[in-house]
Amino acid sequence: MADGYAGKYLRVDLTKEKFTILPTPEEWKRKYLGGVGMGAKIMWDEVPPEVKPLSPQNRIIFATGPVNGTLFPPSGRYEVISRSPLTGWWAHASAGGFFGPEMKYAGYDLIIIQGKAKKPVYLHIDNDLIELKSARHLWGKNVIETTDRIMEDLKDPDVKVAAIGQAGENLVRYSCIMSDYFRAAGRTGLGAVLGSKNLKAIAIRGTKGIKIANKEKFNKLLEDAFRRHSPEGRYWEYIESFRKYGTFSLTDWENAIGRLPTKNHWTGYFENAEETIGMEPMRKRHYKRHASCFGCGIQCKYSSVVKEGKYAGTESEGPEYETVEGFTSNFLSTDTSALIRANYLCNIYGMDTISVSHSISWAYESYEHGLLTKEDTDGRELIWGEDGMDDVIELLEEIPFRKTKFASLLAEGSREAARRTGKGSEAYAIHVNGLEASGQDGRPHKSLGLTYAINVRGADHLTSLSSLDELGYKEEIKRRYKKETVNILADRWDEKLKGYLVADMEELYALCDSALLCKYGVMWPPIYYHQDFGKIISAITGFTEYEDPKNLSKLAKRICHLRRCFNVRLGWSKKNDALHPRFTEEPMPTGPAKGQVVHLEPMLREYYQVRKYDWKTGYPTKKELEEVGLEDVAKELKKRKKLVPVYRGKKAFQIRK
Amino acid sequence: MTKILVVDIEKCSGCRICEVACSWFHEEEFNPAKARLSIVSWKKAAISYPMICEQCEKAPCKEVCPTDAIYKDEESGAWKVDEVKCIGCKFCIQVCPLGAISFFEEKRGAIKCDLCDGDPQCVKFCPMDAIEFVEEDKVGLKKKRISAEKLFATMQEIPK
Repeated sequence: MADGYAGKYLRVDLTKEKFTILPTPEEWKRKYLGGVGMGAKIMWDEVPPEVKPLSPQNRIIFATGPVNGTLFPPSGRYEVISRSPLTGWWAHASAGGFFGPEMKYAGYDLIIIQGKAKKPVYLHIDNDLIELKSARHLWGKNVIETTDRIMEDLKDPDVKVAAIGQAGENLVRYSCIMSDYFRAAGRTGLGAVLGSKNLKAIAIRGTKGIKIANKEKFNKLLEDAFRRHSPEGRYWEYIESFRKYGTFSLTDWENAIGRLPTKNHWTGYFENAEETIGMEPMRKRHYKRHASCFGCGIQCKYSSVVKEGKYAGTESEGPEYETVEGFTSNFLSTDTSALIRANYLCNIYGMDTISVSHSISWAYESYEHGLLTKEDTDGRELIWGEDGMDDVIELLEEIPFRKTKFASLLAEGSREAARRTGKGSEAYAIHVNGLEASGQDGRPHKSLGLTYAINVRGADHLTSLSSLDELGYKEEIKRRYKKETVNILADRWDEKLKGYLVADMEELYALCDSALLCKYGVMWPPIYYHQDFGKIISAITGFTEYEDPKNLSKLAKRICHLRRCFNVRLGWSKKNDALHPRFTEEPMPTGPAKGQVVHLEPMLREYYQVRKYDWKTGYPTKKELEEVGLEDVAKELKKRKKLVPVYRGKKAFQIRK
Repeated sequence: MTKILVVDIEKCSGCRICEVACSWFHEEEFNPAKARLSIVSWKKAAISYPMICEQCEKAPCKEVCPTDAIYKDEESGAWKVDEVKCIGCKFCIQVCPLGAISFFEEKRGAIKCDLCDGDPQCVKFCPMDAIEFVEEDKVGLKKKRISAEKLFATMQEIPK
């Protein structure tokens, strides 16, 4: 059918070694679009709360969306959805590269994986050919070795491979799935889910095409989209910088507003960062070659190399901004060669750079305060600064293999490591709902505080972060929101109205992660907004109803609610909508945002008004769920006594024009 | 004057926009397998290059075609495949020194770059300006300029 979808989905039962191919249901397409939307629907229907993240019954879903694989930029991403072995809650992670479009070219909108293989296997898909192949020779190999070997085995250098490294095999709680060698579906530990299923990799090839509903409409939107990504576009300055430096151009900009996490989130300012770890020195020292994801108009990818010193010759794509922060300012280190090395190791072993760097920095800060001693750290003195980076690199070599007791403790993630260590070390495990805080801080950017607190997957910057207040896009705020709100929304230190702003972003990104575009171009720079999604979804799928903002908003809300309901069914309540005390009680000690803390409550109240959650319990309201088409979900939550019949709170203020 | 496609190898990032634009223009679907040009890449080393038909002066594909299905379009100067005459023998694919011709599964025949009748979509959409549409006699001149630029850049780096 000409609706942007591949049309079929594949279910693989590893226990039974059975494949089922079915048409992608019309209801899934219309009501949930794709990506995290469809993922939420399947997780809700198929994974009850009794199913533990690492049990065979858990599902792991590779999902594309209708925009994937088309010419509309940047449409190269895919989502992986499951229940997280790191946090225990809802999990999604996405990656760019070429794997997602290839899934559609092979004919599949989704690949749902369940069960557990008796022995290590990998899944090979070549259009209609589907087979499980032994991965005995791949088990124990890193991501690069595995990818190379699969290409050799299949005699196909163009096969797209998503694989886990040793970290995933050894159930490191923040292990990730790597595709095209260097692209990570990074957060929430999905590598361990594949590891628990004995599934080492998915290798996929496809030569089928994607047809869409309305060619004329699409071509018009396409021309406009490419213009927006050109020097004629509003945000060319940012795109150009992204293209030249990669995402680490953010290092300079975040430090300038005192939001560059430094010393395990102790502060948000790293002195002289611009000269030591900023975009210019990074480009000058390490730039090797330009790279890209599929169909991208921004082009922020490149490979980096260490040219001298003990890590000379180390080469990998990246590092991204989050990794720069995690392995430099986070340890008070300016050693960018150690950073490139750390990035390389995380990539080949398959670990989320954010969670592993912040789990290690938990140990460093706990050591500083005497809560860990040399006895706990295998004789290491954990010291901040460049001199401490040797130990970080060593730990990155040990954690994926759980080589020692200490490495194995860190492999559990900071929340669990702190829980086992006790003695108050929880104070230095900077996570929210089990997910380590990424390269952001709510103190200099209040709305980010709320973002961390309410996100379905924990302290994550990709589910509802607003760059509008963060980097001061006042003109864009004027275009989107009511006149009287502009100055307040543009002030990143003012908590007022930010609950509404974050809710709006959460809905926008739910569309982005379901239609499947890259967050760059939507989150930052803010090139696309709701109406753009309405139009492109309509042109591609033929679901013209989404050109009506009311229907589009309903769709976005449906996805947001369903993910949250998945968590509510697992036990999520008001108390989970909270922040680590570091952000709410410790005033920012240095930098441009010195003295700032996050006042969460006013923002949370606004956010609850939009979502119509019960202020006491955090549970959703029956009427609201029914209104967005989640009647069955409401029924089940009612049975479980996790539903409020009537919303009694204040009505939300509409900030949008 | 005939124009041809010229690739700047240092600019190509391997994003495949050219392939998808090509299949969209020719087949009204998004499908790199149906593109008239192909990105060849070594992802591990972040190297990519679009393999493109250079519209040879002495075109082996034309010479070898047993049914005279390959002909020159006088307006664009591109070698085109006559779908009716093509019998799908694949000789042209085997003989092309660049590998620029592909076999089209559905149509059971050869497909190759036709320069989109003078408005190449790969050039139009490439965000990196890695493919240019250049008049034949300017190709050498353009190359000379690129080489000279690199030469001067190297000289700047040599300390005096």
